[in-house]
Amino acid sequence: MHNDGMWIYGWHEVFRRMKVVADIVKGAISLLVGMGVTIKAFLSPTVTVQYPRQTITIPPRFRGHTKLVADPKNPEKTPCIVCGMCVRNCPSHSIKKVEGEKKEGEKTKTVTEYILDFTTCSQCGICVETCPVDALAFSADYNPAGYRREDFHYDLVKEFEKRRTRE
Amino acid sequence: MERLTDIITLVGAETVRAIAGLIGVLIIVVINAILLTWAERKVAGHMQRRIGPKEVGPYGLIQPFADTIKLLGKELLVPKDVAKPLYHLAPILIFIPVLVSFIVIPFDTHLQVKDITMGILVILAFSSLSVFSILIAGWGSQNKYSLIGAVRSVAQNIAYEIPLLLSLLAIVFMTNSFSLKTIVEAQKGTWFVFYQPIAFLIFFIAGVAETNRTPFDLPEAESELVAGFHTEYSGMRFALFFLAEYTNIFIVSAIATTFFLGGYSGPVLPGIIWFFLKTYALVFVILWFRWTFPRVRFDQLLNFSWKILIPLSFINLLVTGGILKL
Amino acid sequence: MVRKTIEEITKALQGAEVAEVPYGEKGYHIGVSIDTTNLVHAAELFDRKGFYLEDLLCVDYVDYLELVYFFNTYQTLCRVKVSLKLEPDNAIAPTISHIYTIAHWYEREIHEFFGVFFEGHPHLTYLFLHDGIEFYPLRKNKVPVSDEAKRLLNSFRPEEEEDTFSVNLGPQHPSTHGVLRVVLKMDGEYIVQADPVLGYLHRMQEKMGENRTYNQFLPNPARIDYPGALLLNLAHVAAVEKLCGIEVPERAQYIRTITCELNRIASHLLWLGAFPADLGALTPFLYAFDDREHILDILEAITGSRLTYCYFRFGGLYNDVDDTFVEGTKRFIKRMRERLVMYEKFITKNVIFINRVTGIGILKPEVARKYGCTGPTIRGSGIPYDIRKVEPYAAYNRIDFRIPKGETGDCMDRYLVRIAEMEICLNIIEQAIENLPSGPYKTDKVPKKLKPPQGDIFHAVESSRGEAGVYIVSDGSDVPYRMRWRVPSYSNLMTFPYLSQGLLIADAIAVLGSYDIVVPEIDR
Repeated sequence: MHNDGMWIYGWHEVFRRMKVVADIVKGAISLLVGMGVTIKAFLSPTVTVQYPRQTITIPPRFRGHTKLVADPKNPEKTPCIVCGMCVRNCPSHSIKKVEGEKKEGEKTKTVTEYILDFTTCSQCGICVETCPVDALAFSADYNPAGYRREDFHYDLVKEFEKRRTRE
Repeated sequence: MERLTDIITLVGAETVRAIAGLIGVLIIVVINAILLTWAERKVAGHMQRRIGPKEVGPYGLIQPFADTIKLLGKELLVPKDVAKPLYHLAPILIFIPVLVSFIVIPFDTHLQVKDITMGILVILAFSSLSVFSILIAGWGSQNKYSLIGAVRSVAQNIAYEIPLLLSLLAIVFMTNSFSLKTIVEAQKGTWFVFYQPIAFLIFFIAGVAETNRTPFDLPEAESELVAGFHTEYSGMRFALFFLAEYTNIFIVSAIATTFFLGGYSGPVLPGIIWFFLKTYALVFVILWFRWTFPRVRFDQLLNFSWKILIPLSFINLLVTGGILKL
Repeated sequence: MVRKTIEEITKALQGAEVAEVPYGEKGYHIGVSIDTTNLVHAAELFDRKGFYLEDLLCVDYVDYLELVYFFNTYQTLCRVKVSLKLEPDNAIAPTISHIYTIAHWYEREIHEFFGVFFEGHPHLTYLFLHDGIEFYPLRKNKVPVSDEAKRLLNSFRPEEEEDTFSVNLGPQHPSTHGVLRVVLKMDGEYIVQADPVLGYLHRMQEKMGENRTYNQFLPNPARIDYPGALLLNLAHVAAVEKLCGIEVPERAQYIRTITCELNRIASHLLWLGAFPADLGALTPFLYAFDDREHILDILEAITGSRLTYCYFRFGGLYNDVDDTFVEGTKRFIKRMRERLVMYEKFITKNVIFINRVTGIGILKPEVARKYGCTGPTIRGSGIPYDIRKVEPYAAYNRIDFRIPKGETGDCMDRYLVRIAEMEICLNIIEQAIENLPSGPYKTDKVPKKLKPPQGDIFHAVESSRGEAGVYIVSDGSDVPYRMRWRVPSYSNLMTFPYLSQGLLIADAIAVLGSYDIVVPEIDR
């Protein structure tokens, strides 16, 4: 309130000014608290993993590219009967070619060539689900790398053979 | 030895001292820039719970050299319509105020390039010149975004010079002298930070604002449209602006150490080591600020300076003067 | 409420056929079918009664085009479907963009994809397909675009005014908004007008919905909204289950709830990292991603993916969860509660942050209703509208949780609502984990080739951004006839031109960050 040019402080003006100072002090304290959080993080150990020198274990259900599994009754072959369900059901048409031949004395076809174009695969799992003989599963290959697009056109039968001869 | 004394008598002791000082200052500037480039990234990394650079050399110590080589290899793109003299002058001009400020800082009892009686005035006058070079950089780029960034930077620098000056003036009241050497000598007993804590805070905040560091780095913010006054500079010229910023950080911390934290005084260890320890502690605090706080908006920044820092520093001056009179 | 609305509509509109529809089968309560003369009256009626325009879409039945408008309220659930038949060769309808502002953009989209002309619309220009179109994309036959229509579509020219200059915000951003371009007309430092330009991320998800079977479309919802992938996956799966009448076992419902809430926390953490990064604080980004890693590890152990999950199937889940999931989730909940305390100290109480964010971008509830905003945007403005409470799905009606709301509707309120939501998500997960029933995770009665009966259905879920809905029209075959996605970021983003007038750029960026938009959702 003013009175002939002289300032007379009403109580609300005093409180207002005290509140301004209190706000500044509270603000400064909040800044110091924030700095405390960062310095605590500075002195804490890092949470990063130094890949490729250290690696993490991949969970068993990880969805890498698909692979042909071994038939539990006959580990030399895969159960794939070349029915084409996976080719028809893939949303991205990533399974390019599934060829097979009927060997002598067998009831169903055996697969000779299974081309998967991994560059368009979305790892949805529909092929794994719709296979009537459960021939497909997800592999744990989490870091495929290559120089050309053709490096990612996997032939699953060849991969199966490589895995089988390795064991 | 004989030939050395002959040369000294021929040329004059003062000139030799000046040249030696200049070389020493340049060495400090270069080493500081290298150290700060590395330290900023390491501090940032550890505050974010990750490791900073570690591949290039042990603990990433060679990273600054790798960065320099990369910047030297970049194409120096000069836009078509720039004002050529201004554009090319700006990165060089931005160094001159900083180098002059180095002349008066006392690193140790006898390690000061020249103890000018009006030491503070030299520093303050030349730091105002750095504003000029920012404006030249922004105008010379002939780019509306750089100009906006440069103008904002100039407004910020001008606004924060006043609290800088006023807080230093409180120290001048206490020691009755403008010379930095005298001020450090006067702190042999207790450091001035215990007598003038508010002035120290004001000086530090104003210093951070002068160097355009977070939380006051709106002119060169990344998530704004304008990238500031150095938008049109590429390669080594861009590196020179950053070099100037890191050197500015060192200067601000060095002045704060000289005025408030006792300069080179301290037990046991030689003075110069204490000086660098204290200065780099303050540099660490400035780096700490960057990775903790968001940016202050431009009008809030100016409000903070004009409405809070300047009245506070005036009150501090009045109280200091009053206490000294009694 | 439903009866009352039916009476009012029948009274107000002549010649309209109003019918009550079984909500459990269709997802809406009232079906109204009108013609073009009644449309504006109907929109005004709904506006007076306080409804908001949930969605506006078009379906091409080859003999006629049907425009479908969905209206809904924030208070009690009452969804009204208004449908309008148009001639395929000469499709003209009046615009309602002067009543419901969001219709401006919906109508532009329909004009671009179907060729429907809206009379009275300010400018029917390209929204998504800026490269030019020869045929209307979503029509069932090849209908060529006439030259006149091409000229109209191309007429997006920002006018040059005195003393203003135009500046592009984007399409490359330093923050994770996505590929969004906003053309800002600036007068010095202040924004005069802001026009979002969409279409950089358009992938024709709606056309893909018409070309793939229901089963084959399953990976797609995760790509529409990638931080909240499980939530949209749930929308799609639940809609088809409702359409076919498939029962989902209890265990699957509870696991769906738990994983959706985990995904919601992950999505909010992504926003929590990006929002202070817009304002200049670069460290919370790393802290938030550290927390996200824990969630992603938990979800990777059961689903196998880290970002774009394809976990739910029709009738249940892809595979069951085990004890490590339960243990891991309990440990995560404990850790997250401490981290939320840290975020509060670090960001929420920071005076610089508070000054940057309070009082900026105030969205009044009335304005939000005209745009059809949902989610934390409208909860920040004071209306506690949450689909999980209003139309419960999965296991939400068996869990007790509250809905946070703000007071004024500025950026700070939206921020606080999302932080409170993260805490509430932890409560929901705790309750669901306690009561997790045992049993099968998938029903067996789902046919291999899913052929839903003929009809249409609308199903909405509460995604981390708001109400995400899917409208499926089935013609009895195994491929949907029309699949339409109602995305929350679309209506939330369109309030940006309104809110950013007269703001500084720094404030406009804060406002844009507080919406938490995801551009793949907008562009579909």
